Amino acid sequence: MSLRVISMDAMGRFVASSRSEYRVVGPKPLHGQYIFGDVESPDDLHLNYTQTVIPPKKYLFPQREELLRFKSGDGEIEPVFDAPPTILLGLHTCDLHAIRLLDRVFSSGHVDQHYRRRRDNTLVISIECLRPCSRHSFCKSMGTLSATDAFDLHLTDLGAEYTVDVGSEAGEALLAKHAKTRRATDDDYQRLNTALAQKWPHFPYRLDFDVSELPSLMRTSYNSPLWKDLGERCLACGSCTNVCPTCYCFNVQDEVDFALSAGRRVRIWDSCQLDEFATIAGGHNFRKTRAERQRHRFLRKGQYQTDAFGLLGCVGCGRCAQACLAHITPVDTFNTLHHERSGGAARPKGGAA
Amino acid sequence: MSRPKVAFFDFTSCEGCQLTVVDTLQTHPELLDAVEIVQFREAMTEKGEDYQIAFVEGSCARKSDEERLARIRQQAQIVVALGACAHLGGINAIRNRLPLEAVVNCVYNENGDWSETHPYGRPRLSDRLINVEPTAKPIEAIITVDAILPGCPIDREEFARVTRQLLQGSQPRVPDYPLCVECKFKENVCLFQRGQVCLGPVIRAGCGAICPTYGESCEGCRGPISNPNMDSMQSVLAEAGLTADDLLSRFSMFGTYQMMKLE
Ligand code: SF4
Ligand code: SF4
Ligand code: SF4
Ligand code: SF4
Ligand code: SF4
Repeated sequence: MSLRVISMDAMGRFVASSRSEYRVVGPKPLHGQYIFGDVESPDDLHLNYTQTVIPPKKYLFPQREELLRFKSGDGEIEPVFDAPPTILLGLHTCDLHAIRLLDRVFSSGHVDQHYRRRRDNTLVISIECLRPCSRHSFCKSMGTLSATDAFDLHLTDLGAEYTVDVGSEAGEALLAKHAKTRRATDDDYQRLNTALAQKWPHFPYRLDFDVSELPSLMRTSYNSPLWKDLGERCLACGSCTNVCPTCYCFNVQDEVDFALSAGRRVRIWDSCQLDEFATIAGGHNFRKTRAERQRHRFLRKGQYQTDAFGLLGCVGCGRCAQACLAHITPVDTFNTLHHERSGGAARPKGGAA
Repeated sequence: MSRPKVAFFDFTSCEGCQLTVVDTLQTHPELLDAVEIVQFREAMTEKGEDYQIAFVEGSCARKSDEERLARIRQQAQIVVALGACAHLGGINAIRNRLPLEAVVNCVYNENGDWSETHPYGRPRLSDRLINVEPTAKPIEAIITVDAILPGCPIDREEFARVTRQLLQGSQPRVPDYPLCVECKFKENVCLFQRGQVCLGPVIRAGCGAICPTYGESCEGCRGPISNPNMDSMQSVLAEAGLTADDLLSRFSMFGTYQMMKLE
């Protein structure tokens, strides 16, 4: 749509003013990393941040969420929606791509009303990454190092000012109401172009092949000996999926009160890496071994999601690689499969560029 | 609907889990409308012997315990192991690696042979050890256990939930996945990233990862998950600088009984 410019000071006032209407959440420092949390004041703004422990997905699809309440006597059922107007501030572009996938997943077929309600009440303000966020990220290889159309506003840090790319009417209205901005001049466009051009050389390509080959690579990797190796190392701890911005598996449980007369239905994040995940009625587990579960995970990331939703299931944020104590990473996994197939020499483990 | 009769029993333990139950009865008073407590030494004087659900706290550590456990099993339709001592053997089992005399010396020093506070004055060490079993055991080593409430102490919400499930007539389910799951839900920065170590990847979740949340290593009080990857866990800890001895002592705090069974 249009490009505007906002000063650092005006940014702080924008946040303070928006808080009268919205819950504003953004990255905040914690023990050397960051987590998304409530931005209470302009001092809470940390837009120049490295990767968060878990992605901002938690505001659209929380770890634990009440879906409905029921009474057992008259069979009364009431859905529960908790979707306060929210601004997700400072999303990196990998997380933006992930939300684009979640939007498709939760809105296709049987529309997920709980996700949809939150998403419709959420404005997304993303920010351009000008330097790599961690040694584990590989967004450049995955094609997620620039914005996709899921944002309402998109920021680029030009030093004393940000450019603001307006991506939606809602974003435009938000700016008009709460922020003091000015229209971008030719000079601003020039500065933006320079910043964007200069950023790319700082990011390494970490896949040894072009990402467009990934789905086909995964299709022929079902019987790779790699899965057994990963299965031996994997702790089945679920950290890789719990920190992943594109994972969306959940479990649904009913909780009843002591009098057994009323209760609530909740959904909780689940993980395909846990022992019990694929256990169905009767106790049969159709993915018993850690090797089978690792294979499933990577096939989902590299192939299944493209087949089903037209987008890759991995955005290269590197969170899973950071979280995995057994050092199982998508980069090593995909590269090893690639070299197995092409017969070339595999790169050493841990293969940061 | 008549209320199910419930009894609480204690064996070798610190009574912290029973205290958590007392606490839960105050935060969840609805519980008292749902069950009838007939025996609970920590909270009441009556000792009813007619009960359907028995919560058993403490390890089996004395010779006389076995018979008492068998009687409880005979009476109760459902036996629940309450807390790490009953569930795992726990802290009490640390002594299993040493001869009893050495344990007494370790705890009471050279004064081990007498005790001012002992009700019968100063019995000889050998007399006092007559009723003590050389190994402290989880109660499931003696009787069948229908449900567990892990932890040192137990988790209040889990106690309430498991009790609700028992009242519903369903098999209570406690998590059988690693602590890391709850730790990530809380969005903690992993202790390994902060230069510390943690047993979370092989320990049963359910406490809300309370120790890592406060910056402390999980010591494993809820016991291992049913299918832990111990080899990989050992490599992770070794990479973090732990020696084989460190490893052993880490797992010994609550897991001595289980480790000795594997040896
Ligand atoms: S984080 Fe690593 S060890 Fe844990 S389940 Fe995932 S791959 Fe396995
Ligand atoms: S698989 Fe790993 S790198 Fe890919 S999106 Fe998920 S957490 Fe990020
Ligand atoms: S992975 Fe790439 S896009 Fe995502 S935060 Fe890091 S640098 Fe930015
Ligand atoms: S701190 Fe412990 S429980 Fe938490 S993620 Fe790390 S290893 Fe797992
Ligand atoms: S974190 Fe570990 S040691 Fe602490 S309460 Fe939970 S299971 Fe027990």
